[in-house]
Amino acid sequence: MLKFNKIYKEYDTPILGPLSLDIKKNSFVSILGSSGAGKSTLLRLASNIIKPTSGSVEYLNNEKPNIGFVFQDPTLLPWRSVIDNVLLPAELTSENKKLSKQKAYFWLSKVGLEGKENSLPNQLSGGQKMRVSIARAMVQDCSLLLMDEPFAALDEVTRNKLEDDLLDIWEKNKLTVLFVTHSVTEAVYLAERVLVMSSSPGKILDDVVITEKRSRDDSQQSSEFFSKINYLTNILKKENNE
Amino acid sequence: MIKPYLSFLAPIITFLLLLCAWELTVSFQNIPKYILPAPTDILDSLLINYSDLLRSTFITFRITLFAFIIASLLAIFIAILFSQSKIIELSLYPIAVIFQVTPVVAIAPLILIWVGLDNAEFAILILAVIVAFFPVLANTNLGIRSVEKNLSELFSLYEANRLQRLFKLQLPYALPFILTGMKTSIGLALIGSVVAEFVAGSGTSTGLAWRIIEAGNRLDVPKLFAALILLVILGVILFLIMSLLEKILLKRWDLDKS
Repeated sequence: MLKFNKIYKEYDTPILGPLSLDIKKNSFVSILGSSGAGKSTLLRLASNIIKPTSGSVEYLNNEKPNIGFVFQDPTLLPWRSVIDNVLLPAELTSENKKLSKQKAYFWLSKVGLEGKENSLPNQLSGGQKMRVSIARAMVQDCSLLLMDEPFAALDEVTRNKLEDDLLDIWEKNKLTVLFVTHSVTEAVYLAERVLVMSSSPGKILDDVVITEKRSRDDSQQSSEFFSKINYLTNILKKENNE
Repeated sequence: MIKPYLSFLAPIITFLLLLCAWELTVSFQNIPKYILPAPTDILDSLLINYSDLLRSTFITFRITLFAFIIASLLAIFIAILFSQSKIIELSLYPIAVIFQVTPVVAIAPLILIWVGLDNAEFAILILAVIVAFFPVLANTNLGIRSVEKNLSELFSLYEANRLQRLFKLQLPYALPFILTGMKTSIGLALIGSVVAEFVAGSGTSTGLAWRIIEAGNRLDVPKLFAALILLVILGVILFLIMSLLEKILLKRWDLDKS
C-alpha cells in the first residue's frame, strides 16, 4: 500500500530517518515513540502534506490513494455546521455535490452522529467532534487512513468506544490505517503491527507483530497480550533513559 | 451577581446625578455661560441650533462612515495581498507603518494643498482613511497568520488552491480578528475626520468640528458643548453598530463557549 524508501527529513536539524518501511494493504499499524520521535512527521510524509528532504514515498501501483487524516484535535472549522465540515474535502476536490452529500450523511450516521448534521462544532462534546473528524476523513472513500494521536485528549470511556468503532470501520472498509499513539495499550489493542520509533532523528527501533485476539475484558486477555505490552513499554523506557 | 436591570440602570443614574450636580454647581456658584454652561443651557442651545448641528452631524457621520468603509476594504485587500506573497508584505508593511506613526495633524496641511482647499471634505476623507486604516490591516494580517497549522495541513492534504484556501479558510478564520480591528477603526475614523476638519478649519467643510471651532471663536460655549455632545453620541452609536455587527457575524464562532 505504502512504501518509504530511505526517507529522510530535516528542518534545521535531522528529524526523521533515513528509514525504509513497507506498509501492507489493509493492515492496521500503530506507531509508538516518545515526543519528538518524528511520528507525526512520518504521517505527514505518508500523506504528501510535506516532502522528504531525500528518499521517496511510493504508493501501490504508483497511484496516490484517497487519504484521510485525523489530527490530534478535531480541526473542525467552527463556522461550519457538522455536515458542512464533513463536506469540506468534497468541496476542495470539486467532487459531485449530490453524491458527496449522500456519503457525508452515510458516514455521519456510521459514526453515530445522526441528527447532529446541522449542529455547530462548539455544540458538540470532545468525542463527538472527533467522530466528525473521522467522518470527514472517510467521506471520500479513503483507503489510507492516517491518525495522529486522535484519541489522546479524550476520557477513557469515550476513547475505548471510539477505538472499537474505528476497528469496526477498518474491518468493514478494507482500510489501511497508520495510527500514531503514546499509549502502549492502545497500540497493542488496535494494531496488527506496532512500530517503535527512536527519537532525534526518528528511526524504527522495533517492529512487533501482534497476533493476539483483542478483548476489552482484562480477564479474557491472553498473557501474550500483556507480555507484548510489557515488552514494548520496556523498549520505550530504555529509549527514554538514553 | 449583579442583576441585569441594575447594570443598565447604574450608569444612567450616575450620569443623571452628575448632571444634577453640574446644574446646581453652575447656578449656585454663578459661573458664567462662556466658562461652563449649565446642562439646561446646553439643551437650550441644542434646540435653538438643531438644524445647523444636525446637518453638521450628518456631514461628520457621512465622512466617518465612508472613511471607515474605504479604510476597511483597502486594509483587508492589502492584508490579502500580504498573505499571498511574502515579498509584497515585506515591501509594503513598512510604508503602512510610516502612515500609522505619522500624526495626522502633521500631514493634513500637505493633503489639503494637494487636494485643494475647495475640496476640503475630500481631504478630510483621505486623512480619516489614513487614521482608520492600520488597525484593520494589522488585525487581518494577524488573523490570517493565526490559522491553525493542522487546518492549513488539512487544506494541503486535499490540494486546495490559493482561492479555496483564502475564502474557505483564511478569511473566515480571520473574521473575529478583522472585526476587532474594525471596532477600533470606526472610532479612529471619527477622530480622524474631526481632527482633519480642525486642521482644515476653513469652513468649506461644515462638520461638527467646524461647529466647535466656530462656537469657540464666538465664545458660544453652550453651542460648543452641544456640538461636543452630538459628537460623543455619534461615536457611541457607531461603536454600538459595529458591536452589533460583530455579534451577528460571529454568532457561529461563539467565542465564549469554545
